[in-house]
Amino acid sequence: MTARRELAERGIPALGLISPPPIHVQTPTFEGSLATLFRCVRERRVDLLDIPLFPICEAYFAYLMHGVAQDLDEAAAALAALGYLLERKAWSLLPVIEPEPEFEEPLELPDPTAHEYRAAIEALQFWQQQRSLLFFRSPDMGPDPYELPYTLGNVTIADLALAFERLVHKAIPDLVRPDAKPRKSLEEQMRKVLLALSYQHRSLIELMPESFTRTDAVYWFLSLLELIRLGQVAARKDEDEVRFARS
Amino acid sequence: MRTKCGLPEVDVTIDPVEFDGLNAVDVVQALLFVADSPASLSALAEGSGLTDGQIEQALEVLEHHLKQSGPLQLVRLAGGFQLSTKAQFGPAIAHFLKPQRQRMGRSLMEVLAIVAYRQPITAAEVDAVRGVQSDYGLRSLLERRFIQEVGRKTAPGRPVLYGTTQQFLHQFNLNGLGDLPELTTQRVSAEDVVNLSAILPDKLGAL
Repeated sequence: MTARRELAERGIPALGLISPPPIHVQTPTFEGSLATLFRCVRERRVDLLDIPLFPICEAYFAYLMHGVAQDLDEAAAALAALGYLLERKAWSLLPVIEPEPEFEEPLELPDPTAHEYRAAIEALQFWQQQRSLLFFRSPDMGPDPYELPYTLGNVTIADLALAFERLVHKAIPDLVRPDAKPRKSLEEQMRKVLLALSYQHRSLIELMPESFTRTDAVYWFLSLLELIRLGQVAARKDEDEVRFARS
Repeated sequence: MRTKCGLPEVDVTIDPVEFDGLNAVDVVQALLFVADSPASLSALAEGSGLTDGQIEQALEVLEHHLKQSGPLQLVRLAGGFQLSTKAQFGPAIAHFLKPQRQRMGRSLMEVLAIVAYRQPITAAEVDAVRGVQSDYGLRSLLERRFIQEVGRKTAPGRPVLYGTTQQFLHQFNLNGLGDLPELTTQRVSAEDVVNLSAILPDKLGAL
């Protein structure tokens, strides 16, 4: 009895489950607590794609940062719920390649006449094959997507990974701000990186400002990769260091 | 417009039209080089300041000239003209660019052929021709931009009507829908049925 009373005092029901804190979620498609959202998503009563998770994460940060979180168990329960929601949403955002069905569901319709198109189908298949041998200036002309190949010279993926690791090692941790503004775009960062680059090869550390956060490091590195892909930046390996310059 | 067989040398057959000191054939080739999509005769004429006739002549010469040598060719597709690489260079270019091949299965081709021949057509009508549901096929063809909604049928529910696109013509190397082969329907005629019913009892009796 004592143990049960202790649990009840801590807000833990007899089953031993801990409820997440009452973070209120209000969206055009759902309104209720984080716990209710969690349950609705698990029971597939709400489409998570309609629920923006960013403001909920912000609310959770505020709950942590402003000292509302008195109970670590409760904070952990909310974190677990958020983690579950984020994972579910991440999976649902991934593109699903729908396989072409072998046989589609037959309809009870009399006298299908698809066989009359056999010659046309064969002609289309032949023309498609012939067309795949022709290439036009614009990749948009297809039929199949491709990109112009780019070369990294003597730089390998492992070299780039090592350069990134060194960069992150020198970066200072980001400050957690619950009221963080929307993050900058990669396009904007690419412009900054292009301005910082010259025709003289320099290492990633030399390119960076004196003080930079881990987020800055990630943005710089991603921008460099994208610029290499677009053919605007060249990379080469000197001794043990990858160096970058405008191409 | 196709190059006639045995076309004589370029500078003998057609006097190059001078346009601001430039050769008309070169002007047309330059325009086609920068065009991202098939350029129509009128667009080429308007862009170059030449007449339709001069453009036609220039295209004929250019087609002949490219056919003689070089890796490029003039193709007429989707109602216009465009420069492409010749088919024999396809494997080498594919090796270089490594395109992600997206082949279409037979059921998709069937839906596409039905839409191409019967357009404008509703999804229910495609189902009726095939005898199976065609939701996947129509959705996939819409995503590939081979077909598009071209209107609504004036029928209960106002179902969507589908038709083919310019992209369809381009991806199948067609200049227009008129290039599609004529279908020969192989339906059994009433006469065939009569003849068959006359023969069948004998054949069955022999068994």
